[in-house]
Amino acid sequence: MPVITLILLGSIVLLPAAALLSLRWASRSGQLGRFDRAALLPFDEEEPVGRATDQILGDNRR
Amino acid sequence: MSSTTASKTLQAILPGDFSNEDFRRAKLAEIDASCRTPVLFFFVSGLLWLLAGTLFALVASIKLHTPGFLAGWESLTFGIVRTVHLNTVVYGFCSQAAVGVAIWLMCRLCRVPLVAPGIVTVANLFYNVGVTVGIGGILAGDSTGIEWLEMPRYATPILFVSYALIAVWTIITFRLRAERHLYVSQWYLLAAVLWFPWLYGTAQVMLIVEPVRGVVQAAVNWWFAHNVLGLWFTPIGLAAIYYFIPKVIGRPIHSYYLSVLGFWSLALFYNWNGMHHLVGGPLPAWMITVSIVASVMMLIPVLTVAINHHSTMIGHFGKLRHSPTLRFIVFGAVSYTLASLQGVLSALRSFSEVAHFTHHTVAHAHLGMYAFFAMVMFGSMYYILPRITGREWPSNALISVHFWGVAIGIVLYVVVLSAAGLQQGRMMNDPTVKFLDVVKFTIPYLQIRTVSGLLLALGHAAFVVNFGWLLVRMFAPYRKPVVSILAGAEIASPSGK
Amino acid sequence: MSYGPLLFLGILFTLASSWVGLVLMPQRQLGALGQHTDTNTAAVYPQARAGEAQQGAEHYRALGCVYCHTQQVRPEGYGADIARGWGRRRTVSRDYIHDKPVMLGTMRTGPDLTNIGERQSDYSWHYKHLYNPQITSAGSVMPPYPFLFETRPIGPMGPSTNALALEGAFAPAPGHEVVPTLRARQLVEYLRSLKSSGDLPEAPVKKEEAQ
Repeated sequence: MPVITLILLGSIVLLPAAALLSLRWASRSGQLGRFDRAALLPFDEEEPVGRATDQILGDNRR
Repeated sequence: MSSTTASKTLQAILPGDFSNEDFRRAKLAEIDASCRTPVLFFFVSGLLWLLAGTLFALVASIKLHTPGFLAGWESLTFGIVRTVHLNTVVYGFCSQAAVGVAIWLMCRLCRVPLVAPGIVTVANLFYNVGVTVGIGGILAGDSTGIEWLEMPRYATPILFVSYALIAVWTIITFRLRAERHLYVSQWYLLAAVLWFPWLYGTAQVMLIVEPVRGVVQAAVNWWFAHNVLGLWFTPIGLAAIYYFIPKVIGRPIHSYYLSVLGFWSLALFYNWNGMHHLVGGPLPAWMITVSIVASVMMLIPVLTVAINHHSTMIGHFGKLRHSPTLRFIVFGAVSYTLASLQGVLSALRSFSEVAHFTHHTVAHAHLGMYAFFAMVMFGSMYYILPRITGREWPSNALISVHFWGVAIGIVLYVVVLSAAGLQQGRMMNDPTVKFLDVVKFTIPYLQIRTVSGLLLALGHAAFVVNFGWLLVRMFAPYRKPVVSILAGAEIASPSGK
Repeated sequence: MSYGPLLFLGILFTLASSWVGLVLMPQRQLGALGQHTDTNTAAVYPQARAGEAQQGAEHYRALGCVYCHTQQVRPEGYGADIARGWGRRRTVSRDYIHDKPVMLGTMRTGPDLTNIGERQSDYSWHYKHLYNPQITSAGSVMPPYPFLFETRPIGPMGPSTNALALEGAFAPAPGHEVVPTLRARQLVEYLRSLKSSGDLPEAPVKKEEAQ
């Protein structure tokens, strides 16, 4: 069997396997658990959750 | 969340008894200030190319219904001016706006100032030289004839250096991050800057340096061109939407879990779509079928993202009245969904039989690149520029002219040309209809497209004037303290409030 | 989802999958396609393009003809390509092995040109059409290409043999003639060479059509 066919068949097996293994690792090491924290990353003390920004148009310059 | 690096720098410059609060506020301003020069360079140069690209677009549009227009000029023949328009807006404007937005977002989310910003500015200079040489080459007749890769081979290494520098700098910023956790936007940005050089390098080697034989060129061409949309522009556009919607309305994204699903399904499926540009063409059926399947699978990331963004916005649509950023971003987000749905439909063999080779495809391209991507870039620039320059937008009226001009313009463009294209396709599939009659049918719709182009041009002009005015103010001394949008960054104002 | 190396691997593997599937695999399958020799007639198809025609292909590329004209015939019954007489059979991969670049096209603002050399091989039709498409095809939106021609005063020996026969509003000023330049000649040679109806095992021409 030519080398390139071997490589192609190999990748068809190995790539999804690697992906699944990575997913398993991520799940076990808690990577997928911290969603609530992560969603808050655009915010900080200066521009916290609950405060709208960029309200510059209309009669609402604030 | 550590602020050690930034705090230490500020402590060195501003001795005295500052509270932690002041340091944190100043840190945001410091981050913004650190990327000011490169981001401004990318935005300014991008907008200049947008103006040029808009002009070329108008010329091309007029030529298509009035072929005698400027017909004596070889460099402006339709086949060349249309190509120049595409390369100017895609590589001159869209990519540069994308990089400017990406740099600022990465710095903000990593909570770290940009290190050695001068290098990124150098990348920008390389980039503009590359685009100038490339556009000049096409005008001179050196187009490669390969769609989305028309710039001649003497221009592309210059661009490649620039892309490589940008990728490296993004990764360095990422590695130096002060914030350990990653936000969804950062995944998209990292992915985009890593994917693009690979795409560009492969395409250059296999199509221009050592061209592959026959239709394999078409396969590589459309693998590249579709992935420019799917793996370069779309991720950066989505990164911006995921950041700015929550940022403007003050609430986090509705479901972070959905954003994980959206990212990985996009990464997995989008890059297999390319062959849907070749339905019915001279390629093995398995390739076309695989791409059609992948195109349909795109429903997963697209609907995931649509649900996520829409759910986040519910209850906050009132804020669209007051925030230009939100208007442009939400318009862009809705257009992303619509463009993707239209794309899924267009990939199906039965639909493609009618729509392929017609103006429907052109309308679809503009729905994606303009109504989605360019609008998201405009929205991002409206947010970023005041923060990096420390000035407000001088004219709200110009903002409205910009928004309404381009919104009405692009809706007119897409709706009219999509419908006309479908009818054009139906007529072409009826062998009893003479070809010239099909052409005659499209002319009034092409004229409407020119009108929509004038509206887009008006909007761009309003934006550029407002932007120029803002830049002038940046160099002029303050007249009044900046309070309305930069509350919290007063440390930058000399009035000392 | 905060682990850098994991993200990097995912980014790598996802693009690698289509790079293998849509770039490397087709190259393996089609990259070595060669000409086909008919066992009965010993005819070789497709023929490489003659010098002038190849030069013409360069002009076709530089002028951007591909943005309005396709060069691919879709299968019978799918669209109306064959019913319109744009080809006797669909085009397949082998038809394009000599093309650099391959210009399949994605828009049909104008008709498909795969077999224009069979439909229209008259030099003077092509010259008139390129000089100003309105001459042969009134109402067309194709741009005129006057810069591919030279308008010059008629010399003392009389009109040139290859001067275009133009009438009415299209005629040059009195005492002048319009002749094609080298570029126009090469472009027309290229267009006349566009024929992709050779019988192939993977795409036979229908028996009642074959000559």
